[in-house]
Amino acid sequence: MTKIPQFAVSTLSAIALAAMAASAANAASLEDIKKAGVIRIAVANEIPYGYVDPNGKALGAGPDVAKKLMETLGVGKIEWVTTNFSSLIPGLKADRFDMVAAEMAILPDRCKQVLFSEPNTSYGEGLLVAAGNPKDIHTYKDFASNPKLKVAIMAGADQLEMMQRLGVPDANVVTIASNADAISTVGTGRADAYAATSLTASGLAQQGKGVEVAAKFTDPVVDGKAVRSWGGFTFASGNEELRDAVNGALAEFKKTPEWNEIVTGYGFTEADVEGSKATDTAALCGGA
Amino acid sequence: MHWTEYLPSLMQGAWVTVQLTLYSTLLGAAAAFVFGIGKLSRNWALRGVSIAYIEVFRGTSLLVQLFWLYFALPLAGNAIGIDLRLPPVLAGVLALGLNIGAYGAEVVRGAIQAVHSDQHEAARALNFTERQTLFRITIPQAIPEMMPSFGNLAVQNLKDTALVSLISLGDLTFRAEQIRNFTQESTTIYTMLLFMYFGMALVVTAIMRLLERFAGRWRVAGS
Amino acid sequence: MLFGFEWDLSNPLAFAISILPILLIGMWVTIQATVVGFFVALVLGLIFAILKSAPSRFIAWPARLVTEFIRDTPLLVQLFFLYYVLPEYGIVLPAFMTGALALGLQYSAYTSEVYRAGIEAVGRDQHEAARALNLPSARTFTHIVVPQAIPRIVPAMGNYLVSIMKDVPVLSVVTVLEMLNVAKIIGDRTFNYLIPLSMVGGLYLIMTLVASAGVRLLDRYLPKQGLPLK
Repeated sequence: MTKIPQFAVSTLSAIALAAMAASAANAASLEDIKKAGVIRIAVANEIPYGYVDPNGKALGAGPDVAKKLMETLGVGKIEWVTTNFSSLIPGLKADRFDMVAAEMAILPDRCKQVLFSEPNTSYGEGLLVAAGNPKDIHTYKDFASNPKLKVAIMAGADQLEMMQRLGVPDANVVTIASNADAISTVGTGRADAYAATSLTASGLAQQGKGVEVAAKFTDPVVDGKAVRSWGGFTFASGNEELRDAVNGALAEFKKTPEWNEIVTGYGFTEADVEGSKATDTAALCGGA
Repeated sequence: MHWTEYLPSLMQGAWVTVQLTLYSTLLGAAAAFVFGIGKLSRNWALRGVSIAYIEVFRGTSLLVQLFWLYFALPLAGNAIGIDLRLPPVLAGVLALGLNIGAYGAEVVRGAIQAVHSDQHEAARALNFTERQTLFRITIPQAIPEMMPSFGNLAVQNLKDTALVSLISLGDLTFRAEQIRNFTQESTTIYTMLLFMYFGMALVVTAIMRLLERFAGRWRVAGS
Repeated sequence: MLFGFEWDLSNPLAFAISILPILLIGMWVTIQATVVGFFVALVLGLIFAILKSAPSRFIAWPARLVTEFIRDTPLLVQLFFLYYVLPEYGIVLPAFMTGALALGLQYSAYTSEVYRAGIEAVGRDQHEAARALNLPSARTFTHIVVPQAIPRIVPAMGNYLVSIMKDVPVLSVVTVLEMLNVAKIIGDRTFNYLIPLSMVGGLYLIMTLVASAGVRLLDRYLPKQGLPLK
């Protein structure tokens, strides 16, 4: 009939321009961050690695150490972002935050997408089961040997690969979006266990009723090696400068008793602490 | 925790929901008019774009559109070299607005076509240009026809805002989920959440009814 | 890999082709959830419609309030409620059933209105004629009103079927492996969201067009005045 009303054109172009302006060009470098005085750090609400309490205070092995590191580096303020675990890496790539302090496991696949700091902590696997462990589950391989069992894992976590390598059918793997959903999922029997790191499982067992950590747990053996993970801080690809600065501060901080206190305070064992110094990121990314 | 302790956080979330609803409804209204009228245009390019927009946004799921704008668009931008990383708020408003706009466009189109042809003949007899006819005769009479459906769409939009919690946007549902994750008190929280949305929906409905009555002044006598 | 199908990351086209079977498995779940949800909406909607037209105010008003409440609250929140709260009272439904129930419940608020409108649209004169012929009310309902109401309500119900299909992705939040969830899992593992999500969008478009065409076809074959009784 007629041309597009003028006001509509201007409204839509204004929105389009705002869209372009709103998205930042590149990941902020250390200089930019120091100038702005604030760094955006993301966690995935996983106790005790990195989480936010209802008052907005960030806690966990990752955040507590990150706070100390930022002090050393001279960044005054931290803006904490909570997101799903599976959105941590996409969020870095889309510059929604500058750094991740969720003690993400340093894995070759992830190294291809993002940069990792040197390891901060190390941890083993564990299982959360219903109180009393009615199905008598003690290791990941139980799900391959007993096809009637269902195991829950978090979206984006590497337990999916572990399960597949151990021969657990995909139909028996329930993917949950958020860590704390595991309490309900396992407690109601929708899955027979939640496969996560040992500390995650013990954190959830303390937080919820009707669930407990599977006793006499043995680490899954994949490709002939017992699985142990190393967690570190994550940065967007290309942001080597920030990563190197954090590495420098981290190396210094790990020598202090304060670091030891923070980490063991969250439940990491001496073995975990020693283990965290056993290897470096280059080796982990190389797939060693 | 007692349920009243949840209120401050939930109210913050509710404020975000209100803003999201407002902006996306405005965007949706704009899109509805542009593409609803565009679909009736004689210009084939404009008609094609309008039809494509309406079919795509009405024919696919809102959550798919939301995830696409949030997860896939940045990657598409990378491929062609422009930076298309949308902050969650923008992805949310865009998805909601464009989605509701597609439904709105059909409402607009229907209402405009429902304006009696006598009106167009009279306008032509009085030497009105096409543009004048559209803006001074057709649209004002079409608006009262659109209002009831727009009222439904506005409430639908409010309900749809809950989906943005899935891209970590801090709306009411997101806040509730955070609290629930920490305290595991599902019954209390979800009951509160349902009542809060119900309350907001009643307010939106009341506002839309007011607008309906206001627009009713444009009804032609006897129509 | 997922569901036994490996994906091929060598180039975009190979990737798209390799994940198609995985997405189609998700699509099958989507279709099942749509059908079951629709069925629940039809049954619950009928119950609500009958309650809302009850002569007693003590039945009709609460029924109206409940359907209004369901209509005005988000599907996502209703789904969370059914999934997390019911178990606290001993009812643990599998994720798929919970999802289908939530879909059916949300849309029952709409289908109950369609039933009411369809039944009311059957003209006064039909009721008078039935009374003149001394037909008992139950018979009037099943043999006169219903056959004439059905052609009227089919298009609206068909539209709601398509709407339900578009709402199925919400079920992904309670671990149902429908199409969007499957695409997201692929994206989470490969970090390539663009191809899976775009394919899901395309598949949805196809499903919607097919379903809408089906509804239109059904509408055309139904006689407008009413279903013949013999």
